[in-house]
Amino acid sequence: MDNPIIMNKYSIERTLGNEIKPYNYDEFVKNFKINIISRSDNDLEFDLVGIDVAVANSLRRVIISEVPSMAIEKVHIYQNTSYILDEILAHRLGLIPLKADPRQFKMKEDENSEPNEHDSLVYEMKIKCTKKDLDALAHKQFISFPVYAKHIKWLPLGNQKDIFTEKDVGIISDDILIAKLRPGQEIELKMFAVKGIPKDHAKFQSVCTAWYRMMPNIKLLDEIKGNDAVLLQSCFPKGVIGLKSVKGVLIAFVEDSRKDNSSRNVFRYKQFDNKILLSKIQDHFIFTIESVGAMDPSLIFLEALNILTRKVNSASESALNQTEI
Amino acid sequence: MITEAETPDDAPKKALIYIFCGACQAENEMKPKDPIRCRECGYRIMYKKRTKRLVVFNAR
Amino acid sequence: MVEVLRDKEFLVKEYLETRGLYSHHINSFNAFIDSDLKKIIQQNHAVRSDADPNFYLHFKNVTVGHPQVDDGFNVTRNVTPQECRLRDLTYCAPIYVDIEYVKSGMKYLRKGFIIGRLPIMLRSNRCCLYQKSDAELAKMKECIYDSGGYFIVKGTEKVILMQEQPAKNKILVEKDSNGVPTVQVMSSTVDKKSKTNIIFKKNLIYVCHNALEENIPFVIFMKALGVCSDQLILQMVGTEFAIMNQMYPCFLEGSKLNIYTQKQALRFIGDRIKKMGFSSEDYDSRVITEVHDFLSTVILAHIPVTNTNYHMKAIYTSIMVRRLIFSLSNPDLFDSKDYYGNKCLDLPGSFLSLLFDDTFKRFTFELKSVADKNIPKVKATPFDIIKYIRTDTITNALVFAIQTGNWSIKRFRMERHGVTQVLTRLSYLSAIGMMTRVNSQFEKSRKVSGPRSLQPSQFGMLCPSDTPEGEACGLIKNISLLAHVTTESEDDDAVLQLALNLGVEPVGLYSVDDLHEDYMYLIIFNGNIIGSTNKCIDFVDKFRRCRRKGIFSKFISIYISERHKCIYINSGDGRLCRPYLVVENGQPLLTNAHIDDLKRGYCTFQDFIDQSLIEFIDVDEENNCLIAYNEEKIVPETTHMEMAPFSILGICASVIPFPHHNQSPRNTYQCAMGKQAIGTIALNYQHRIDTLQYNLWYTHIPMVHSKAVPMINYDKLPAGQNATIAVMSYSGYDIEDAIILNKASVDRGFGRGGTFRNSKCFLRHYPNQMMDSIQGPIIDNATKKPIYKHRALENDGIAAIGQPVFDKQVTINKATPKTITVEDVGGDRGFKETPLYYKGYDPSYVDKVMITSNSDCFLIKENFRQPRRPEIGDKFSSRHGQKGVVGLIVDQEDMPFNEVGICPDLIMNPHGFPSRMTVGKLIELLAGKAGVLEGKFQDGSAFGGATVTDISNELQKHNYNYLGKDVLYCGIDGRPMEAYIYSGPVFYQRLKHMVADKIHARSRGPRVLLTRQPTEGRSKDGGLRMGEMERDCLIAYGASMLIIERLMLSSDVVEMDVCKLCGLFSYSGWCHMCQKSNSVCRIKMPYACKLLFQELQAMSIVPKISLKKYCD
Repeated sequence: MDNPIIMNKYSIERTLGNEIKPYNYDEFVKNFKINIISRSDNDLEFDLVGIDVAVANSLRRVIISEVPSMAIEKVHIYQNTSYILDEILAHRLGLIPLKADPRQFKMKEDENSEPNEHDSLVYEMKIKCTKKDLDALAHKQFISFPVYAKHIKWLPLGNQKDIFTEKDVGIISDDILIAKLRPGQEIELKMFAVKGIPKDHAKFQSVCTAWYRMMPNIKLLDEIKGNDAVLLQSCFPKGVIGLKSVKGVLIAFVEDSRKDNSSRNVFRYKQFDNKILLSKIQDHFIFTIESVGAMDPSLIFLEALNILTRKVNSASESALNQTEI
Repeated sequence: MITEAETPDDAPKKALIYIFCGACQAENEMKPKDPIRCRECGYRIMYKKRTKRLVVFNAR
Repeated sequence: MVEVLRDKEFLVKEYLETRGLYSHHINSFNAFIDSDLKKIIQQNHAVRSDADPNFYLHFKNVTVGHPQVDDGFNVTRNVTPQECRLRDLTYCAPIYVDIEYVKSGMKYLRKGFIIGRLPIMLRSNRCCLYQKSDAELAKMKECIYDSGGYFIVKGTEKVILMQEQPAKNKILVEKDSNGVPTVQVMSSTVDKKSKTNIIFKKNLIYVCHNALEENIPFVIFMKALGVCSDQLILQMVGTEFAIMNQMYPCFLEGSKLNIYTQKQALRFIGDRIKKMGFSSEDYDSRVITEVHDFLSTVILAHIPVTNTNYHMKAIYTSIMVRRLIFSLSNPDLFDSKDYYGNKCLDLPGSFLSLLFDDTFKRFTFELKSVADKNIPKVKATPFDIIKYIRTDTITNALVFAIQTGNWSIKRFRMERHGVTQVLTRLSYLSAIGMMTRVNSQFEKSRKVSGPRSLQPSQFGMLCPSDTPEGEACGLIKNISLLAHVTTESEDDDAVLQLALNLGVEPVGLYSVDDLHEDYMYLIIFNGNIIGSTNKCIDFVDKFRRCRRKGIFSKFISIYISERHKCIYINSGDGRLCRPYLVVENGQPLLTNAHIDDLKRGYCTFQDFIDQSLIEFIDVDEENNCLIAYNEEKIVPETTHMEMAPFSILGICASVIPFPHHNQSPRNTYQCAMGKQAIGTIALNYQHRIDTLQYNLWYTHIPMVHSKAVPMINYDKLPAGQNATIAVMSYSGYDIEDAIILNKASVDRGFGRGGTFRNSKCFLRHYPNQMMDSIQGPIIDNATKKPIYKHRALENDGIAAIGQPVFDKQVTINKATPKTITVEDVGGDRGFKETPLYYKGYDPSYVDKVMITSNSDCFLIKENFRQPRRPEIGDKFSSRHGQKGVVGLIVDQEDMPFNEVGICPDLIMNPHGFPSRMTVGKLIELLAGKAGVLEGKFQDGSAFGGATVTDISNELQKHNYNYLGKDVLYCGIDGRPMEAYIYSGPVFYQRLKHMVADKIHARSRGPRVLLTRQPTEGRSKDGGLRMGEMERDCLIAYGASMLIIERLMLSSDVVEMDVCKLCGLFSYSGWCHMCQKSNSVCRIKMPYACKLLFQELQAMSIVPKISLKKYCD
């Protein structure tokens, strides 16, 4: 878009009013792009180009607050003589991420109904520390026996045994520390995981976080050379400003403004006044999704799109119904 | 501690209190009118043992 | 150039580690046990009887054992403090003495006899925690960071607070209420306290004392002291013109009264001493001995008199008068009561020795009266005093005094309340903050500024920040990190001898007028004149050198007062002093090599003191020193250098990062708030069963801490969390200091904590062999489950561990026998239920149940815990006196986020900054941010710490904005915000004020029996009072029906019959006064009004009600 967001020394200049253009479907189709920049098992970074900030933000909000996932909701404690208090233990267990794919489960309709194979996962942890256990660890100078997520066992409900394996629905990582035990201490409990949305509780988040930033755009308005050029380079993250040597004089140029993170340290130095323009491109979003691990980040994004579409549909439906009346 | 007192008909039964010692963790039982004292080490502070009675917590 | 010492704060660390944070309490208690106790018993060691001159009883060889508990059947056993806390016992140790006494004419010796039990201060040298390793302490279930220094009496921890008092035996020239100068001396010796004034009255000089009915002219007083010649008196006071001028009328008065000889003067005073009723025979001689007694032991009691030789007293008095006269022309001579050299601190040891002295005297007196009474009686068995020794006299007196805090010592007519206080265990900081507290004797209600304001002489000794607000402001103080309170020295004789060897000449040696020559300096040792010298500088210099050589105690101070022409040497207890680096020839004696050695453990801090590289300087001596702030400031005249500037702060203020950037009252607010911050109170918190305990689940070490934080172990027992904050306004729910919390942060555990509460129950034995019993739960026949009330109980009748208990559920189903007296043996053997209920809006979980037995009954203590998730209205604060309540908890998606996806835990409104000027908080945020990026803790020490430039550079290095301001995207509309937002981590404390503890509402509920008005207070489910001012509003508004509703109908309405003829109350429609029924009307009135009328009638006042039709 032609109205960038300009970052001045003390404030951001948002060109209000112009950012909402009359919507034009063909133009949207023509301009809209998704470029995947990098992806790994749990992280996904991609560019959303040619889209309104409201839509990008809606996606972010849905990912953070409405994409469901499985998490432990109820903890039945039969015995806990450890130093970790019951409610702290329950809270910690609730925050442990599970591998289970939430799409394979239903939301529990009634909170107090019996758990069944469609809406719940049951886990169990039975552990008692004996002196022998501790002695076995003594060479590592442990004075207490650490209880890790690997001590949690999945108990299949109904036909879950045939559908899933422990690998599918277990704990995300084996070495999440849950508690520490001294000899004679004992924990025995059952956990019930259900499907839920993060709006209800943060433990249902399927992402660590998801956010975007607007594509930075850096323009040099004047030639910057010599020591100033080196200084300018140090004002930005690595790779933003490049230096080229012209006749033995170092001249700064913008190498990759994408790598900039709006630190605006150029404003610290008087010599760069009016020589550089920092701005952001309004319809170019660098979107990052960091999955907790249960779902692939791209799937989370798709799920969010689905939810958003559903919402839009229901909104338009009810709008239509309104007009009929 | 538990006396042989007359209680109403629907009165509940009384049970021994299972306790453990605050110093050596040895398990003891509490009997009526006995002074409270660990059989192993003579320590006077005893704690009631936690039984495997179910407690439900919301993991929130 | 002076070499800069690296890591000077290491010295402070070492000092605090070797000495302990609160050594003043413990040292003074040790001194009490090791020397004072012995002295007291030695002074009162003999009991004799008037009935038998041959009878005697001697106490010898007192020792104090280790804390023990009596378990009944005469079995005693050593106890740990934790056992005492849990079992509600007193942590006390037996006092053993050897007794030599006479029984039927024979001499007997009993060794190791217990005369009483003494409560023992924790971590003192009699405590079982003394010099124990961390592992041993852990085994005793004791927190290794616990301060000690307090007592445990019947299960509660009690502290004897330090008390500030005017220093004794000092001459103070002051103005009285009319602006006329007076001189005052408070004399104090082991067994006498008295106050002597010399005043001007109509230009004449008088001596006043409480024991005198009338003021005595100074000249006559001097004559009574044996200085009969007027010339000699004048020479003693001084022969300057000003003095002669003032003295002239005094001499005239003396001659007017016709008093020329000592005997005449003595008789003159004798006529004016209070309470002397002698018979007329031998009146004269008895008066004279009485006056001699008065002069030698009562007036100016601290100056020893041998054989009625009052020479020293005369000189002392004349010096007082001299200062008084000079003060007329020279206002510099006035002393200030608030100058800290004129104050001393009373420590627990001195309080205990006062108390013990008194009780021991009573103890021996009781023994004497027993002997007097019993020896004359003829009995079959010979009189054996041992049988009459009651150990509980001393025990009870000591325990009672510490328990209640009432110190009443009849001998000094001392009656003090609130000497001890319960150790507040709200947080670690509140507990250790209490050990450094100094209480002042001044009345709190008085509106005086002098004693409350910060006196320059308090610098480095008392914390300038840590004092409460409001009525106790400036009266309750806290001592600084490095301040040390002296205990009594044992070297007085050595000092006296040394002074004489160094050339001090006794005052009598020259003619008296030599005293006032310019070159002459009087030497005053602990308030007594010991002589004079004409080589003042030389003497002081040599004296100090001897002190540095270790010839006598390091804590003995000497200083020259040019104003007074005196050299003061002080060795007494209760003086505040503080270690400084010694500087000689412009160079600190301590070098980097020394510090390196200390770090490697080759030497200790004590070695530096022994070698006098570091010296203790008290408030008085500071006046003779030039103390450099740091190496740069050293000039040739410098005598000492500061060890670490941050040590001028106290414990609570040391927690504040960058306090030197804050507006001063903010630091004071934080000092008060740090004590309310919930956190981990001690490492043994799970083993404690306190009445109320708060804890925070996930405590953090502050990102920005000061050098003092690890020294006071705040990093091991912190109270708060590093919250990522954004300073911006949001939603309007953040006005008036309210803060916005991120719901996801709260879900993940931010600010989560809980409370622990206990309840207690005793199972008693009764005289008729019955005993309280515990009964199992009642089972509902229909459901086969326990009834609601008993749902938490197990079969043994005690709540199950881990179970939630709800309001009005039984936690211990106790039953008490219906009959308990001996006469009723064989009576009704039934029981009635006396269960223990749980009370509270929210349920709690049973944490633990402790069962133990005390000497006569079983004791069951239950601990309940309640999780507390932060909610709207809970109070939070940063460490800069910026408190606020939660105004809104916002979903994560609505929170702003920055370019790397971080969204804040907490949003704070920027309006909190301009008026408060808490720049320290701004820097804390900046430093915290740099620390997080760098992966290390930042230093925010007072008068030091990281600089903003360094922090900015560090931020830039990590590609963050150098000002700490980030681009934040709005979580609601998704656009970048117009302003750059200052954001980063700040340490936030959750304060103990929580909505869950305060929420209260009532529709119907209990009423007070007497007035039938609703009860008061949340605990009694009371109503909310509509007070006078609220009523005024309604009157002003004219809402009369509302007034009737609120004040009568919703409160204590009652329908009464009133007779319209006689105006009195009638009953059941019949007026007894008029014997009529048709005159009776029924009206509504407040019950309180009816009550008032009847009460008035009961005192023969008849209020009459005149009735009128409403419509007329």
